[in-house]
Amino acid sequence: MALRELKVCLLGDTGVGKSSIVWRFVEDSFDPNINPTIGASFMTKTVQYQNELHKFLIWDTAGQERFRALAPMYYRGSAAAIIVYDITKEESFQTLKNWVKELRQHGPPNIVVAIAGNKCDLSDAREVTEKDAKDYADSIHAIFVETSAKNAININEVFIEISKRIPVADGAGGTSGKGFKLGRQASESRRTCC
Amino acid sequence: MAVHSQVNGTTAIPWRSSRRKLSLLEQLKGCQEAWCPGAPWDREGAHAAISGTPAGSFLVLRDSVTSQPILLCVSAGGENGAVLDYNIGNKGTVFQLNDSRLSFSDLAQLVLFYSLTRDVLAVCLSIPRWIYSVTDKNKDRLSQLEPDTWLSPPEQQTDEMTNRELSNVMCSIQLTSTNGALCIINPLYLREHGDDWLTHRASTTPCSTQPSNYRRERRLSTTRTWAGAGLQSKRAISLDQEPSAAFMESSGLTRARSADSPHCPPAPSTPVAPAGVVLRRPSQDSASRLPHRASTGSLQPSPPSTPGSLNCAASELQCHGSPVPQSPHRVSWIEDGVWLPPPRPSSLLQPPSLELDSLSISSIEEEQDFQMPSPTPHHPSAHRLADKVIHRLSAVGQALGGLVSQKKRLTNRVQELSERRGGAFAEAVKGFVEMTLKRGADPDGVTGSEFLQEVRSKLTSLRDTLWDLPEIQALLDSITDLSDPAIDSLVELSLHKVALKPVSAHLYSCIRTSRTNDGCFERLRSNLRVLEQNGVEELGGSAGVGIPDSVSLERIQQRWTAMHDAYSPNKKVQILLKVCKSIYHSMTANASSGTVFGADDFLPCLTWVLLRSDVVTLQQDTDYMMELLDPTQLQGEGGYYLTTLYAALYYISSFRPRLAARQLSVEAQHSLNQWHRRRTLHCNQSRRSVHRRTIRRQMCRVQNSETGTESKEESGRENAADQSQLQTESSTEALQPLREETGRGQGGEDQSQTSTPVLDCHQQEVIQEDRQEDRQT
Repeated sequence: MALRELKVCLLGDTGVGKSSIVWRFVEDSFDPNINPTIGASFMTKTVQYQNELHKFLIWDTAGQERFRALAPMYYRGSAAAIIVYDITKEESFQTLKNWVKELRQHGPPNIVVAIAGNKCDLSDAREVTEKDAKDYADSIHAIFVETSAKNAININEVFIEISKRIPVADGAGGTSGKGFKLGRQASESRRTCC
Repeated sequence: MAVHSQVNGTTAIPWRSSRRKLSLLEQLKGCQEAWCPGAPWDREGAHAAISGTPAGSFLVLRDSVTSQPILLCVSAGGENGAVLDYNIGNKGTVFQLNDSRLSFSDLAQLVLFYSLTRDVLAVCLSIPRWIYSVTDKNKDRLSQLEPDTWLSPPEQQTDEMTNRELSNVMCSIQLTSTNGALCIINPLYLREHGDDWLTHRASTTPCSTQPSNYRRERRLSTTRTWAGAGLQSKRAISLDQEPSAAFMESSGLTRARSADSPHCPPAPSTPVAPAGVVLRRPSQDSASRLPHRASTGSLQPSPPSTPGSLNCAASELQCHGSPVPQSPHRVSWIEDGVWLPPPRPSSLLQPPSLELDSLSISSIEEEQDFQMPSPTPHHPSAHRLADKVIHRLSAVGQALGGLVSQKKRLTNRVQELSERRGGAFAEAVKGFVEMTLKRGADPDGVTGSEFLQEVRSKLTSLRDTLWDLPEIQALLDSITDLSDPAIDSLVELSLHKVALKPVSAHLYSCIRTSRTNDGCFERLRSNLRVLEQNGVEELGGSAGVGIPDSVSLERIQQRWTAMHDAYSPNKKVQILLKVCKSIYHSMTANASSGTVFGADDFLPCLTWVLLRSDVVTLQQDTDYMMELLDPTQLQGEGGYYLTTLYAALYYISSFRPRLAARQLSVEAQHSLNQWHRRRTLHCNQSRRSVHRRTIRRQMCRVQNSETGTESKEESGRENAADQSQLQTESSTEALQPLREETGRGQGGEDQSQTSTPVLDCHQQEVIQEDRQEDRQT
């Protein structure tokens, strides 16, 4: 079985729960005694997808405005980006849209984008409707899920969806039809490997 | 060879008679009631019973309600009779120690495993010696044993059983570290059939005709595949219980070989020795002939073509054995490279003559270097050969063993090769050192990152040269229990020693010159004064996050110094990781449980620490690491924290109170893009056509998608006016071909959307400038 390492970066405002999502995702495989991961800003988890193993290398980014400009260092070379917003904070959804635009322009082409509306356990305080977010995600062909890191809702699903959309390893680098389109897909001839 | 064909079928294995030895696992299962007693035993009782027994003596206790095994009590030995407790987790049908991730499908396997390697235990479990002597005939006695007997069998009984059965004690447990087979060879088979099954294949498949590249490729591809050989197998351990394991594995090997190597004709009827196997327990027989073992030199290998020679066996193993196929017996370790061979178990309950050897059969090929003319007898008696195999393995085992020595061997060999007069590698290293020292000394020459990039590129080609040396290949092929990344890292480290060490001081002076000239140090120093009074919260950290206290900070400073002193970028990164870990530790020290600190807090904390450190030196170290680190290291943890260090330094050096972060992104992005691209390219250039398909594929995908961007971009719309207007402002950096950067040129109208809502005009200008620079290329 082939092992593929997939770099995934986490984007989104500070406080929306980026690292909680990762923590939740990796917690069942996380054992500080054996696998001394330094902290939640970089974590890995390997999952099986069809006949491949996908090892997610999850790069967290600092969401504060002041560090915003450092993000390209982190998302460069990513196979996927998970952009997280807080369903109880409209502002974080606007920030998300900016991230999408930035990724379109500066991010790796064909990067798989997943949008995660976190804190869906707090639906009383909801400011962003699921429909709005879903429509937006559809319009940019992004994966969309509402998650709750707190209650472990839809966390694995985000990564499963990412696995599905990652282009197959062989076959001249063909991309999934559902992939996030950046409007400037690389030409097929160019992408033939070596 | 009729005998051999029998071996492949489990039904026809000759030693499976009624008088056969029980495997240790069977023996353990047989007396499980003795070491894992039922109801009346509680923790106190067990402690009382164990206290004072030799180190490693143990009992497993069951929960009084559920009867599930819950606690492993182990004697720590010593005078105070301390007893250590380890909780046993029980998830469904899987047993594991709570501190460990290794899972076992039954308790006996767990015990057996921990008798071989201590993993999380303080000492290896010790299994009473007399258990080795139990055969089918007297196995009923096992079930009658009780815990007290288990812990201290009557002398009489021990002697009686041992004396009667000693000559038959032939249970060889074998264990490797990463491919991790725990298999049991029954030396009775060797005794009966000799070991020409070991050597037979060597005459039919001469190793020397195998293209070395093919060998390497095969090793890489197969081990790569195993590395991902199923999450399940990574967590579950399957210990073999059939004495035939080694041979079943051999047949698996044959299949695997025929599947992926056209060069090697499949020979399903011929068993091949399992390779990468470590003999941990030589048989009693071999031990009883201990005097022979000292004379390693007397057992001289003959040329590989001589049938019956042990050396041939070694070559054979090297040829076919290295990649042990996925088998049910495999113990896969959780994370590649994490596990190091533990200290060898020493158990007082083992017979004193039983030396615990740890060696890889395949590392015998090392001894090809010491070839001697003395030919091995052509048709020696099977019995003698069997002994010889055992002796040989034991003897080699004394010299070798474990990762540390492999690493050392590799380092020494590379060192030796680099000093060999007239050798290709030595010449290449010499050329590299001279050229590097000369290049940077030229005052008009390039001293900055461009220069370091060249150095990295040359290092990569030196590494290729090294890889292509048959001696190194042979050595690497013998390392069967390390993952490919770990082996790469070993090679890289040995290369650093011979190539980077002599030039590292010079490289530092080049970095200093370059960074002084570009004003980076000056910016760092002045911004340090502006920022150093800021607390973590002012730097963006959240309220609950802790910062290193003065003691930790002192420790961090020492580590920074050590990081600066190391010449190998890999080593530096390891130290960096230690620093990051201690920062994380401080962050979470006072936090309420359940709080997860991610990058939102780590970056401010690291920045806070940097503001209290020698940022000028750290900047040089960061440049050194970023430019010289092996490209394959970049996506992992080291790459992440190095990027974060780079980012934090950039944040400091480009901090402007009025202009928010956007401006620094221009420089940071440039620099990082350049860095990333270069690594991508180098990785592709190096050994493009060889062997590393799995890695390559990944890297290619990155590169090609980036060049793809470029092509698209070239035909994309451009803002010509802006371009001409801003062209002159481009920095020298921008003049370099920043191919992937062109992907950003989207025209000015996009930027207001991309940028954050509160950008001022200056920032927008900067962004435009950035894009124009990109477009130039």
